[in-house]
Amino acid sequence: MEIRALLSAMWRSRVGPVLVAAQVAITLAVVVNVAYIVKLRVDNISQATGVDVDNLFWVAMQAYVPDYNPAVATPADIEWLRSLPGVAEAANSNLIPQGFGTTILPVSYDASLLAKEGGFGQGVAPAVIYLGTARLVETLGVKLIAGRGFSEAAVQPPAADGRATLSNWGPEVVITKNLADKLWPKGDALGKTLHTGLVNKPATIVGLIEYMQHQPVMGPAADLFRSIVMVPSTPASQRTAYLVRTQPGRRDAVMARVEKDMAELQPGRYLSAMEALADSAERQRAGMVTSVVTLGVVAAFVVLVTVVGIVGLAAFTVATRTKQLGTRRAIGATKFHILRYFLVENWLITSVGALIGCALAIAVGIKLSMMYRLPQLPLLYLVGGVVALWLLGLLAVWLPARRAAAISPATATRTV
Amino acid sequence: MFMHDLRLAFLSLRRNPILTALMVIAIAAGIAASMITITTYHARSGHPIWWKADKLYAVTLDPRDPDANGAFASLQRHPEYPPLQVTYQDAKALYRSDIPTRAVMMFRASRVVAPRKPGEKPVALDTRVTTADFFAMFDVPFIYGTGWSRADDEAPSPVVVLSRYANQKLFAGVNSVGQTLTLNDKDFRVIGVIDAWNPTPRFYDLNNGSFDLPENLYMPFGWTTALKLPNNGNTNCVRANAQVGGFEALLTSDCVWMQYWAELPTATQRQKYQAFLDNYTNEQRRHGRFPRPVNNNRIVDVDTWLEMYEVVGDETRIQVAVALMFLLVCVLNTFGLMLAKFLKAAPISGLRRALGASRIDIMRQHLIEVVIVGLLGGALGLVLAKLGLDAMRALATRPIPGQDDNPARVALQQSLSSMDTQMFFVALALALLTGILAGLYPAWRIGRLSPSTFLKTQ
Repeated sequence: MEIRALLSAMWRSRVGPVLVAAQVAITLAVVVNVAYIVKLRVDNISQATGVDVDNLFWVAMQAYVPDYNPAVATPADIEWLRSLPGVAEAANSNLIPQGFGTTILPVSYDASLLAKEGGFGQGVAPAVIYLGTARLVETLGVKLIAGRGFSEAAVQPPAADGRATLSNWGPEVVITKNLADKLWPKGDALGKTLHTGLVNKPATIVGLIEYMQHQPVMGPAADLFRSIVMVPSTPASQRTAYLVRTQPGRRDAVMARVEKDMAELQPGRYLSAMEALADSAERQRAGMVTSVVTLGVVAAFVVLVTVVGIVGLAAFTVATRTKQLGTRRAIGATKFHILRYFLVENWLITSVGALIGCALAIAVGIKLSMMYRLPQLPLLYLVGGVVALWLLGLLAVWLPARRAAAISPATATRTV
Repeated sequence: MFMHDLRLAFLSLRRNPILTALMVIAIAAGIAASMITITTYHARSGHPIWWKADKLYAVTLDPRDPDANGAFASLQRHPEYPPLQVTYQDAKALYRSDIPTRAVMMFRASRVVAPRKPGEKPVALDTRVTTADFFAMFDVPFIYGTGWSRADDEAPSPVVVLSRYANQKLFAGVNSVGQTLTLNDKDFRVIGVIDAWNPTPRFYDLNNGSFDLPENLYMPFGWTTALKLPNNGNTNCVRANAQVGGFEALLTSDCVWMQYWAELPTATQRQKYQAFLDNYTNEQRRHGRFPRPVNNNRIVDVDTWLEMYEVVGDETRIQVAVALMFLLVCVLNTFGLMLAKFLKAAPISGLRRALGASRIDIMRQHLIEVVIVGLLGGALGLVLAKLGLDAMRALATRPIPGQDDNPARVALQQSLSSMDTQMFFVALALALLTGILAGLYPAWRIGRLSPSTFLKTQ
């Protein structure tokens, strides 16, 4: 191998190789980190909701008269909704999955851990609290892995003061497995008592939900939003929201019917909002989808521009060294030698760039993980990035190198 | 001379159309990506009330329990920051201080205007329940009438101020001062209508989205207890023994749900106010409140406030960083291509030198070529950026169920991805900078070459 000649030739026109190596370095740092950021977001976007997202919708009623009585209106509404053709199940709920708003309370297996002066101790976990009427669990279409949904009798009538809804609990709750595993790691949560702080309510766990996600979020809150407690209660407020699950394919027809007739069932209110749950879920993910697309497109362009840079440099080298290449061919170098020369030259440049790029990528990764609380960049991404850039580099240099190899030895004998 | 250089530059660019196109496209792509992301960043990092930025301060106290478990601290990015809002009892106590020039305690609620005649639809109005200083403190412009006085807060007087949109919706845009409005079941008199006012980000309450419109109805603070108004926003009960239950419990327990702002134009006032806050929490500690041993009372100016609570957002920051890295790759790429192109055409420059052109002449001619590539790339980049931003705007206009139909909201959403004049000049500067960064060395290198080298090789 003519490594020394190669290095000396590179040294004589060093600016070009240095530029390409710098491009490779930055490209590696960008692509590796973007790939990881995109992966985290795609994971998050594609997380299951756990609910029957395609057949559910929610509708909110806003009352404006003081004598609006949820104790009468809510059961009547649910009965009406359930009587509609195409409706599988309906319930009232303070929270809408994949929607807006969250109620979070601390829960524990031991009431004394929650009452501790000076803050919650070990054994306390935050949980998202759904307060809803009978068959809320069935309406959501979540999968129960043990026990049952809460009984009709457990559902509390609405509190006199709307603000007291949060502490107006029935004696039993249904929780997600994610939460159960945190408080009862041995897997014996069913039948145990769940204590809830701030509202100071004990309740028996009568059912376990395999999986449910309240909202898609990144970071530590992602786990919290899979720790859910379903409480039997009738929310009391001027604004009431219902979840409705329809039979497959009937959702839009039912929504149209609800929009037309539901508000008038009670005087002094109107339909303030309604949305298919699939649309709510999509809205929740829209920002992340935009981000993934933006980052993906920019990263693809970074790679493209770098490849163009490699091709450009190689083509320039070939063009300016036509005569020398011809001479080498004339004095015995085979086509393979010429081809190898360019491939090795490019491989060296890419490797130097990749080496610097690795350091840069790790530095950027550490900075990102500190700034945005991302997990550390896995090294596998770096390895993948380096291999991909080697292959891309060789691919990019292939055509100019082929052209160089095709230079006729006769070129050497020509002047001008 | 300049025209001659320009002609030479164009001739040179046309000699290698593919190379020229590659350079222009690389710069254009880099500029477009940078401009799209910087524009979004710029719109989100606005200074909503810059003329009073050093006078307005968000006031927060820290009544939290020490978080022994860490389960809740791990959910916050900055567990060391006090809660974003204050409790009702603390707000009331702070309001007694006469150190600030002005002060507001407030929260967001919702009221409904019942149908006034059969067939009419009810109108839901986002409502800000606030003390009297709100309008003067945040320089809210009025079309008709005025705000209310501190005495109206105390009474409370049945008066309200409407937004321009609410006045349009309810009174067809005419002067409605003196008119009566039934909100839920209670009659209120309109005393003022405010003009278009869209502080972006909506700094004074970061609860319900930082990039949304201000409320449509403003109501004296005294109605909080008189009507037992529920708040539309976060209620965060920050102590283990906070009793969560009915409305009365909310007023006395350690649950934060109110925003508090003070106008403190002088450094003396700020010092005095900080001392006042610390005295207050020290005193409360004796009654068993504020269990954390160290005072964490903060008065924070608007810009710091928006930074602390990261209004701009991670996605936007990451996108800007990636786009700028891309632009750097484009600069390096153009640098390389430009150098190659100049060196390839060096014999021509050698000939010009031999015929009497000076080094400066050669350099200038090449620099002009570089600037042309930069400007062409910049122009194409601006067009691409505009297309990208248009696409983003189209995405941003999807209505959210339950929101009112105020056209200003769409305008606000769209303004978050619209290029203003400032951004146009940033793009221009970026394009020139890119071109010059990429071309300065190649032009210098060509100018420095001795003519003999080239004439010999021919």
